[in-house]
Amino acid sequence: MSPGAVAAALARRGVTVAALSDHNSGGNLAAWAEAAATAGVKPLYGLEVRTAEEADVLTVFDELGAALDFGQWVYDALPDVPCDERVFGVQVQVDAQENVLGFEPRLLISGIDHELEVVCQTARERGALVIGAHVDRTVDSILSQLGWLPEGLAIDAVEVTRFADEEALCAEHPSLAGVPVVRFSDAHLMADIGYQQTEFWVAEPTVTELRLALRGEGGRSARPVRRALAGLREPEET
Amino acid sequence: MTVAAMAEALGLQAVTAVADQEIVGAIATDLISDVLAHGEPGMVWLTIQTHRNVAAVASTQELAAVIVTGDRPVSRELLALAEQQAVTIFVSEDDTYGTSGRLYELGVH
Repeated sequence: MSPGAVAAALARRGVTVAALSDHNSGGNLAAWAEAAATAGVKPLYGLEVRTAEEADVLTVFDELGAALDFGQWVYDALPDVPCDERVFGVQVQVDAQENVLGFEPRLLISGIDHELEVVCQTARERGALVIGAHVDRTVDSILSQLGWLPEGLAIDAVEVTRFADEEALCAEHPSLAGVPVVRFSDAHLMADIGYQQTEFWVAEPTVTELRLALRGEGGRSARPVRRALAGLREPEET
Repeated sequence: MTVAAMAEALGLQAVTAVADQEIVGAIATDLISDVLAHGEPGMVWLTIQTHRNVAAVASTQELAAVIVTGDRPVSRELLALAEQQAVTIFVSEDDTYGTSGRLYELGVH
């Protein structure tokens, strides 16, 4: 999944705005900026941060620089555990032309040494849209690790997987009341790009506008869509 | 066995006020959702999880005490909520495996 290949697939599938969001790393975001521009996709800049509780949080920035600075803050708190490539594969950094720039030696799926609240607050202060990732999953999510959404958490929405029914989930978890639900493909494979999405009705694709849309303010709106883009295979329950 | 007797036998450090009561069993897990599903009143919970939701779930499930294992630091936020909810928290120098084993040997099953 190189940034160039991702951007080309998005353009082919009619997605106009997307964020590249590696785990705990902004290492491929510079390449993403260039590749998305080439493909005609509006880039947003993401990191999927695994907190100390091993609850994944999606952070999305407007600006490459802000995302890279936040990426450094995350990396500075990443345990110095080497990546065993036999188990986890290679953690490759590339440029927009898919030239390999290097390999990240530190294991990126570790939980960093900052708690959920600190991660969300810091990301938001630095301008990010903050989203609880795949909260219906039984691992690596705020709900699996912490039981419910802590009160007062600085998040804009929660994301659910394709297998979640948001009405049932919200009925099961009263702490989700009033929290917007979004659906993203969370693609780890090329075939999964666009297997579900969220449509935003906004003036421009910026964090400020997306936040307004999630709140349903100013005539903006957001609508999660639980289906794959035309032509994509339907995912199987895992 | 009571909470106070367990703390004495295992050499646990109390980081909150100790509410003594009879222990009916134990659970060792780091997922709060797991405690919500399987924690029962009077149980002791062994974990390395130190989010403040630990105190909240210990209170809702009416657990006898929480043991934070592996000598992990307990945050001010967790301590504050624990004091407010009258939840007893100990810290064990030993890890979850070792602490669980010793607790089992004490007859807590």
